[in-house]
Amino acid sequence: MNSTSPFSEDRVLWQDFLAGEVRAFEKLMSDNFRLLFRYGSKFSKDRELVKDSIQDLFLVLWEKRDNLNPDAAVKPYLMASLRRLMHRQVSSRTWVGGEALQEEDDYFEIEFSVEDDYIRNEATHSRTHHLQKLINALPRRQKEVVYLKFFQELSREQIAEVMGVSPQTVSNLLQIAIRHLKTHWKAEFLIFFLLHFLF
Amino acid sequence: MDRYNDFSVEDFVWDDFFRQWTLSPTSETDALWDDWIDANPEMLEKVEQAKAIVLSLRLHEPEIDDSEINQVVKQTVGRITEANEDSARAPRRLVPAFSIPWMQFAAAVALIMLMGWAVYSVMIKREEKPELSQQDSVIEPNGAMTEKTNSTSQTIELALSDGSKISLAPKGRIRYPERFDGERREVFLEGEAFFDITKDPQHPFLVYANGLVTKVLGTSFRIKAYGNSREVTVEVKTGKVAVFAQSDPHLKEKVADKQLQGVVLTPNQKIIYARNEVKMVKTLVEKPEMVVSKAEIPQFEFEDTPASEVFNTIARAYGIDILYDEALLRDCPLTARLDNQTLHDKLSIICKAVESSYEIVDGQVIIHSKGCRN
Repeated sequence: MNSTSPFSEDRVLWQDFLAGEVRAFEKLMSDNFRLLFRYGSKFSKDRELVKDSIQDLFLVLWEKRDNLNPDAAVKPYLMASLRRLMHRQVSSRTWVGGEALQEEDDYFEIEFSVEDDYIRNEATHSRTHHLQKLINALPRRQKEVVYLKFFQELSREQIAEVMGVSPQTVSNLLQIAIRHLKTHWKAEFLIFFLLHFLF
Repeated sequence: MDRYNDFSVEDFVWDDFFRQWTLSPTSETDALWDDWIDANPEMLEKVEQAKAIVLSLRLHEPEIDDSEINQVVKQTVGRITEANEDSARAPRRLVPAFSIPWMQFAAAVALIMLMGWAVYSVMIKREEKPELSQQDSVIEPNGAMTEKTNSTSQTIELALSDGSKISLAPKGRIRYPERFDGERREVFLEGEAFFDITKDPQHPFLVYANGLVTKVLGTSFRIKAYGNSREVTVEVKTGKVAVFAQSDPHLKEKVADKQLQGVVLTPNQKIIYARNEVKMVKTLVEKPEMVVSKAEIPQFEFEDTPASEVFNTIARAYGIDILYDEALLRDCPLTARLDNQTLHDKLSIICKAVESSYEIVDGQVIIHSKGCRN
């Protein structure tokens, strides 16, 4: 249970951070850096921008530490804050520049790789590659939900917090995405199979 | 497991439990799935295929190495420690805010809104003031009511006709009858106050605050119900308190009943009532205090004491429930001195020593442990 219940460690660290302990600041930041870096990279390809954003995030949290919720769930809270901060940065640039950078707001890039080691037959191979394509083609918000749910293993409530939407919206998005993946995948697979047998 | 009997490969790939087993199997899940496959051998191929897909479809995450992380962290820590030293001399300069064009725009918007609010508050706010007495539907105002607003910066003490005492925090507003002569003692609160209520089971005492009704027979407790906050909290110091929403369909019965109905809180428990969600969360107060009298405070010195016994001692002293697996913790001996720590520190230390963790659910402490017999 020790590893799954974040209460003892994460919570204590967070509360030490709020109490103004520099040591806790350092540990909190280095413990969560990789996670945040990976998540932040979904919004921008610019490595330096992502790193700077994480730095800004921790500086802002440190400044505001007297007003933060001591009972916050640390990981989703950090992810949500980074998401807001980066969205703000991207949209403020759009404002100032006056350029139509609208599509940047829709940016959520995840890249899948297929590790062929696990795959023994050709049918599975093609199914996996096809699934990879389908996920990459999902609309941004659906993609983000699938990413947070299946690849970051967050709960429905945590995803809702990260994305700033209601848990019900999370369920809906997830359902639409999975249904889309399942049906298209099946159809495509049938065609593959038919072709395979006919020719 | 029966629900998996007609699963397709696609269904397996997106099933939480299946993924969990595939990505991080344990001996329990292995056994469970192996048994199921033995019973449904025709599913083996689908399972194998789904497993291969889950395992092979890896997210390609951008990499960052430890030294790079370390460098940024060190630099950031440098900035905050430097800022701490500087802050005495000069206010910290983070970003020259008004040099950013959109900040200028934001400032203009803020100014317009502020002016709008000023006009609004002068013209309209005045009419809203008497809400404190009108929010109640149950109440038949008989007799003269007194209203007190604490506009000082210190807590003020009020004495009620039944001998009860109320400490009203700054900015708090309270309305109460000059004499309690009905069946119930009823007051209305906005803001924060601590109540020390004289015991009188024949005349329940009720506090109405931001949609939450707190009902007691005689006890002490604190209510925070700020006008601008969406939450109401009630923290119990001694005795028992019942709370229910003013929107409760059985409000009338609950108010009239001589018994305590609704969610009942005991010492060191607190409830958070979120007004717009109509839900109540029961938890522990931030700094639980011992409920036993000074003479009865136990010695928190343990030597090779079973952890279960330690938890019992603490639960009694704080008047709270601690739930744990008796059979597991009986074999976890603990030697520690714990008389100066807060409840949370005590629990953290014990959990660390016996490799457990704890969480607070519904105002109770729950210990998660795997036991100490290896």
